[in-house]
Amino acid sequence: MPIASAFLVPGTPLPLLRRDNPPWEAIARGYEAAGQALAASKPDVALIYSTQWIAVLDQLWQTRGRIQGSHVDENWHEYGELPFDIRVDIDLAKACIASTAQIGVRSREVDYDAFPIDTGSIVATHFLLRGLDIPVVLTSNNLYHDGQTTESLGRLAAQAADAQGKRIAVIGVGGLSGSSFRQDIDIATDHIVNDDEDRANREMLALLERGDVVEVREKAPDYAQSARADMGFKHLYWVLGALGGQYKKARTHAYGPAFGSGAAVVEFQH
Amino acid sequence: MKGSIVGGYLAPHPPHLVYGENPPQNEPRSQGGWEPLRWAYEKARASLEALKPDVLLVHSPHWMTQVGHHFLGVPHLSGKSVDPIFPNLFRYSFELDVDVELAEACCEEAREAGLVAKMMRNPNFRVDYGTITTLHMIRPQWDIPIVGVSANNSPYYLNTKEGLQEMDLLGKATRRAIERTGRRAVLLASNTLSHWHFHEEPELPEDMTREHPERFDGYKWDVRVIDMLRRGEVDEYFKLQPQFIEEAFAEVKSGAFTWMFAAMGYPNIPGELHGYGTVIGTGNAVMEWNLVEAGLADAPAKAAA
Repeated sequence: MPIASAFLVPGTPLPLLRRDNPPWEAIARGYEAAGQALAASKPDVALIYSTQWIAVLDQLWQTRGRIQGSHVDENWHEYGELPFDIRVDIDLAKACIASTAQIGVRSREVDYDAFPIDTGSIVATHFLLRGLDIPVVLTSNNLYHDGQTTESLGRLAAQAADAQGKRIAVIGVGGLSGSSFRQDIDIATDHIVNDDEDRANREMLALLERGDVVEVREKAPDYAQSARADMGFKHLYWVLGALGGQYKKARTHAYGPAFGSGAAVVEFQH
Repeated sequence: MKGSIVGGYLAPHPPHLVYGENPPQNEPRSQGGWEPLRWAYEKARASLEALKPDVLLVHSPHWMTQVGHHFLGVPHLSGKSVDPIFPNLFRYSFELDVDVELAEACCEEAREAGLVAKMMRNPNFRVDYGTITTLHMIRPQWDIPIVGVSANNSPYYLNTKEGLQEMDLLGKATRRAIERTGRRAVLLASNTLSHWHFHEEPELPEDMTREHPERFDGYKWDVRVIDMLRRGEVDEYFKLQPQFIEEAFAEVKSGAFTWMFAAMGYPNIPGELHGYGTVIGTGNAVMEWNLVEAGLADAPAKAAA
């Protein structure tokens, strides 16, 4: 597989919108460290799966060459806007679309002015690709796909890149534990709202760092359920799929809260 | 003058209905489709006209918020709304005016009721397609100010019971805000009934030979609850609603219907069914509860006098 680098990153906009807030600044710095690692790996393209791009019919892939604009998050509108300017590798996206029939998944192109690009994709491209001339393939989280299907999609995307002779950075965008504060808080005191989930997050991160994929696979479903992990932790399966189901170890660049939920920046070494 | 709620509508938001109508605001063109539901909305438009409301309040499941209940709080919003699920069908240029005074009153009353509530003040906010579709279908002239209300995710994050208790409080708070600001208000619950849907879209979306309920049990549930509501058995319906949500995957879980009925005081009056139909397999009913005809609100002329 033509892997240049691989990352698991959070989709919350809080570290981008309010990095002046200490708990979120740590995530922003971790994101930037991952961005440096990505740049050093010199990929030709970044393959991005975001849990926040929701699909229910088919698997959607961006095929608009350049996506520009400014987004206001539906939850965090009080903190300002998220400008974006993203270049898409259309050839590779179309190859990905063509490939998914072999696993029984129908894919569709998304090439529309003003299409509502999701917050997670914007945050990830901002922190990881800003200033780099690296196009992306963006794909959606079909709510009816499980981890296995998502892993297959990641594998097919990497194979499509390989067929085009492209080295890839693989990026799974999503959160860790899902419990969050339900009321306004002093954001300077933000922390993982549930101690058990905090413990589960740390255990999962330690497991990921060790690189024991067999144990990761064994424990991820229970973790996803008990910690209310974002979208069943499917963003991990995207990364595993693209990595061909194996990697050596991982490094956690940052771990912290996002309004009570868990967020981490993880780099996989393959 | 004390304001009042003059009517409430179950006003679902499949973008297919806008697509089928081919209004100038929507880019994609169709050969029609989903006519029974679109004709149902024609009847609802006529009755809304007769009610002469000052404001339309819409609660949409596609503006889902995590911390509290949010209200649009910018006087004028415009832009192009593209449905993230059906971008091939819905790319709609909208302009709308917000009744900010009423929205702020709703927000204040919600806080008084112990809920977390916020105003959305960013002029570049992307209004969700559920809000826009419901508003277009009920009032395509866009000449009545609106209040847009988010769907807090509490029914999903907590559980159905606790979440809908919040929506009940939100509805009662909304009513108090309407009364204190003196508005004649119509409420719009932007909800589908049974929500089982196809997993692949027909090649030609408006090919009605392909449209049918996704599941028979969902259809039976829809018919059952519509019949109850037509008979005015509102109390019975709300006793049954948790089971309906559970067994029919009903979108009323997101809270709009509970919000609307709580605001109206759960009147046990017959709802008028303007029409029922499926959209990619989901069950959609356009229904009206006319509080003027029921003697629970004043007619327009009397209210003006």
